Amino acid sequence: MALSPENILLVGVFGLLGIGLYGLLTTRNLIKIVMVLQILVKAAILGLVLAGKVSGQIDIGQSTAATVLVADTMVAVVGLALAVQIRLRWGTLDVSAVSKLRG
Amino acid sequence: MVNALILSTIFLPWLGAVLVWLVHDRNARLQHGLAIGISLLSGLAALAILPSLTSHATFTLSLSLQPAYPSTWGSLTFIPDAMGVLLAAIATLIGSLAIIFSVDYMHGEAQLGRYYSLILIFIGAMSGLALTGSLLFLFFFWEITAFCSYALISFHNDDPKAVAGGIKALVITQLGGAGLLAGALLIAANLGSYDIPTFLASARSLSPAVLGFVGFGFLFAAAAKSAQVPFQTWLPDAMEAPTPVSALIHAATMVNAGIYLLFRFYPAFAEVPGWKTAVMVVGLVTAFMAALMAAVANDLKRVLAYSTVSQLGYMVYAIGVGGVFAAQFHLFSHAIFKALLFLAAGSVIHSVGTRLMDQMGGLGKEMPFVRNVFIIGALALTGIPILNGFWSKELILETGFEGGPLWAYLVMLAGSGITAYYSARMVWMVFYGKPANPARQVHDAQTAMRFALVPLAAGALIAWLLAGPLNQSAIQTLPFHEIHEISTLELVTEILTAPSTWIAVSVIAVGLLAFIFRSKLTWLSKGLGWLSYAAKNSFGFEKINDFIVTTIQRFANLLRKSQTGQLNWNITALVGCLVIVLIIVVWGM
Repeated sequence: MALSPENILLVGVFGLLGIGLYGLLTTRNLIKIVMVLQILVKAAILGLVLAGKVSGQIDIGQSTAATVLVADTMVAVVGLALAVQIRLRWGTLDVSAVSKLRG
Repeated sequence: MVNALILSTIFLPWLGAVLVWLVHDRNARLQHGLAIGISLLSGLAALAILPSLTSHATFTLSLSLQPAYPSTWGSLTFIPDAMGVLLAAIATLIGSLAIIFSVDYMHGEAQLGRYYSLILIFIGAMSGLALTGSLLFLFFFWEITAFCSYALISFHNDDPKAVAGGIKALVITQLGGAGLLAGALLIAANLGSYDIPTFLASARSLSPAVLGFVGFGFLFAAAAKSAQVPFQTWLPDAMEAPTPVSALIHAATMVNAGIYLLFRFYPAFAEVPGWKTAVMVVGLVTAFMAALMAAVANDLKRVLAYSTVSQLGYMVYAIGVGGVFAAQFHLFSHAIFKALLFLAAGSVIHSVGTRLMDQMGGLGKEMPFVRNVFIIGALALTGIPILNGFWSKELILETGFEGGPLWAYLVMLAGSGITAYYSARMVWMVFYGKPANPARQVHDAQTAMRFALVPLAAGALIAWLLAGPLNQSAIQTLPFHEIHEISTLELVTEILTAPSTWIAVSVIAVGLLAFIFRSKLTWLSKGLGWLSYAAKNSFGFEKINDFIVTTIQRFANLLRKSQTGQLNWNITALVGCLVIVLIIVVWGM
């Protein structure tokens, strides 16, 4: 496997994806969950830019990446606001403590 | 100019919905006035499109953000052709009348903002459904009407029956929506476009398997939306809605969407083997079965609901035997006389306070105005000469006689006899006979109610004169349908001289006589006791319905154990599924 920019980016995408998924599976702290979600979305953005480069439609890849950037900022803001609210009402940030979705 | 009119037909009601919502519920007068004004304006806009009907899209909005790349969503187009504008005009005009009627009917109710907003959203969506030329947007508008129907059936959301009826309607129509969406996506995947005229022009180029799947998918969708067998059970339960809503959504407009779908795509599917027969059989079974159920029901609104199902069955049957114009004409007639019947029934229910016919009786003397308009509607439903229902029903029966098998024609003929019987029974039980409760205090229809009822009664008397122009515009703007040309005068002479008409009229007379001499026919009703029992139990369809619901609930209960409530566990499952999808994608490549 040649050390071309595309391949380096590909490794980056999967690396970020792996870190993000591992974090999601293991962490129970709400703030950390928001952080690993951010890492996951960064992997997706990197993937979009890379896909644009590989397919030759750089403009589409980059404009979509910019759109995701905006949307994902809002996700982070809302997620953190929810975390603050949950901390205020339940006195904890542990997601399993506030779980109400049990069947 | 046309575009401005089309857009105001659709979006003016939506704007009105927001405005009515913003007006506080304490200002009920302003809400009534605003809703009436907006709906009348959009009705006028729909009528003003009439001089400029065409067969191609006048409005096109490309949904692509970057012009170089085509959008996945296709384009939003509007085609003002004869069928679309007819349906939009029915939706907006009958919608205005239903809203005018509501001024008295809903007087003093809480949450009028919610009520009027939903009705206005419905009117806009129904016009959009009729006018759009894009399959995808047809689906979107289709689902918006289903949502409004659900929310209005459950308008009295503290009544468990209303909530259950609404959910039932929503679930069944969504099931049909899946058929429509599947068909639309298949068409887009094969033709690369959601454009309806493109599909109609190139339907023959699709493989028979794909076309057959789409055809039966659309039939499935139409049957669910228009309450045809085996989905007819939702419409009677939808009668928990306020009566103007029943008149507008569950008699005159939304239930016609299924007929509209079959009508619109008839040229594409007519060649699919078995499709026309399937459509005919669905219509036939529904029309006959629902007529029988109407003949034994006791709830006035349920009788009307069964009768709607039955009349929709007539239209489906007409499409199945190739009479698309007959179906369109009957849709037009039925929308008028059924809205009239429902609204008149609404004034009765509003005044008496019950929907059960055996608790009414003898209301004719106390409510002469309502009695008169109700009888006009009932006669049109029966198919008594010169009312609008007569011409359109005879046209359907004649087309069925010429284009369909004889046994099907005979069943439909028997159905029209039963229609006469239950119409007479309904009029008698409500307006004649002995009062069930002599001490009751009833009043005739109030002013706003009369304003809504008079145009509909006039329409039931004279709207059939428009058959010729309707036929002309359909021929000019629906190039794929190959409609047989006929003027009003030719229609009149053709129907009056056809032997099938006189057979049908005598069958109707037999139905009426059977009701008049019912005391002498006890031997017959005893023999048919099993049939009446079956009809009262909706021929077992409710049982099947309940069985499906309980089975799904049991299955869901089994799956409860998988809901641990642990976020990490859920994410593990998500990642697992993602891996499976990735493997499938890689394998497929």
